[in-house]
Amino acid sequence: MATGSLPQVEYRPYDDSTQSLRYIKGYPRSFTRNPSQPLIERPLTLSELSGPFEPERRVEICDGDFSSATPGGPRAIGQLMNISGRVTDEDGAPIAGAMIEIWQANAAGKYIHEWDRHQAPIDPNFTGQGRFLTDREGRYRFRTIKPGGYPVMESDWWWRPPHIHFSIFGPSWMDRFITQIFFPGEPLNETDLLFNGVPDPEARQRLLFEPRPIVVTQSLNLLEFERDFVLRGKQRTPEVG
Amino acid sequence: MNLSPSPYGTIGPFFPFQLVDDCNDLTRFEGRTARGQHIWLGGRVVEEGNVPTGNSVLELWQPDANGIFRHPMDPQFRDVDAGFFGWGRARTDRQGAYRFRTVLPGASRELDGTRRCPHVNLMVLAIGLTRRLVTTIFFADMPDQVKDPVLNCVQDPAARHRLFAIRDAALDSVGVPGYRFDVVLRGENETPFFID
Repeated sequence: MATGSLPQVEYRPYDDSTQSLRYIKGYPRSFTRNPSQPLIERPLTLSELSGPFEPERRVEICDGDFSSATPGGPRAIGQLMNISGRVTDEDGAPIAGAMIEIWQANAAGKYIHEWDRHQAPIDPNFTGQGRFLTDREGRYRFRTIKPGGYPVMESDWWWRPPHIHFSIFGPSWMDRFITQIFFPGEPLNETDLLFNGVPDPEARQRLLFEPRPIVVTQSLNLLEFERDFVLRGKQRTPEVG
Repeated sequence: MNLSPSPYGTIGPFFPFQLVDDCNDLTRFEGRTARGQHIWLGGRVVEEGNVPTGNSVLELWQPDANGIFRHPMDPQFRDVDAGFFGWGRARTDRQGAYRFRTVLPGASRELDGTRRCPHVNLMVLAIGLTRRLVTTIFFADMPDQVKDPVLNCVQDPAARHRLFAIRDAALDSVGVPGYRFDVVLRGENETPFFID
């Protein structure tokens, strides 16, 4: 992108039909935290169309291997897996150099977090968090262990299915993106308030990892999952005069 | 191609502190110190009933003290303050309190030469929010407040007033002046939020 040029990209407001409900029955905080007043329409200026640039210069990036707490250290407990995918815009154009943050529970369903009161063990060989970048084709890849499910300890009780949280820094403030991705075929998916908070079945499918063929090698055999992400942003259609 | 954007999700309760800590000071970057007036930008996040919203995550995106964004789209990108990155992140404690150290932003310049009022973009993430909430913070003692294209979208004068951070000596610390911006997610004196 040349300095001082506006990319010919338009950011349309999210289509609510492809997104999660804001108010979810049984998810009590959604009723005390979502604004009661309608959200206000605004123009997008340089301020909203720009965004954190080269964030890896500001924060620490890791090698994308979360299967041990330190490089070459003892392996974390759990099913070892590779997770990969592509980050694109709505036209399918790759987003290179996007910073991705992930965080997840360990195999017992426990996070390293002051607010986690679940009586499950910490795995000393697992931190479950870190940052890495997409390559020139918008691809990312990391290695981790499968997270466990865990009970939600507040208000209405339910068990969260295994999932991994993603935070993505796209090229613009408009596509600072957060989500969580689930595993296919998990019984707890059926009752999860957040997974089912996305009413559109097609959109819900895009919250699942897709299993991929396992490459068998002599040294290491890992489960393989893929998940592509589509950030907002679309080439502007020339106006027909 | 016409792909549908991925569904957004809540940040949940367990965003690692390690990914937040050290991110709330925007005045240092690559060993340099940001130019301009350093300020504390802080306050409380509350929800319905004025109940503190603990464990929420806030992010800022703003131009430097001269109004330049560290982004190639900004025509003045090459002149951006080498000590200023422009993005920061903080979390709220159990009382809902948060604090950033940053600089008073300058008036950024659009490609057509018009200027925005000095402002900071804010996003709020928390349990219960399946989508981020976005708003813009303005500064009361800055000029040209009435001409801002985003501020002008807020019709109700009382609501518009709530988008201004106000000078608050109670937030002063180590010789750096404090500005208060309370975020009311829902309830009386609710903060105006924009369509994302």
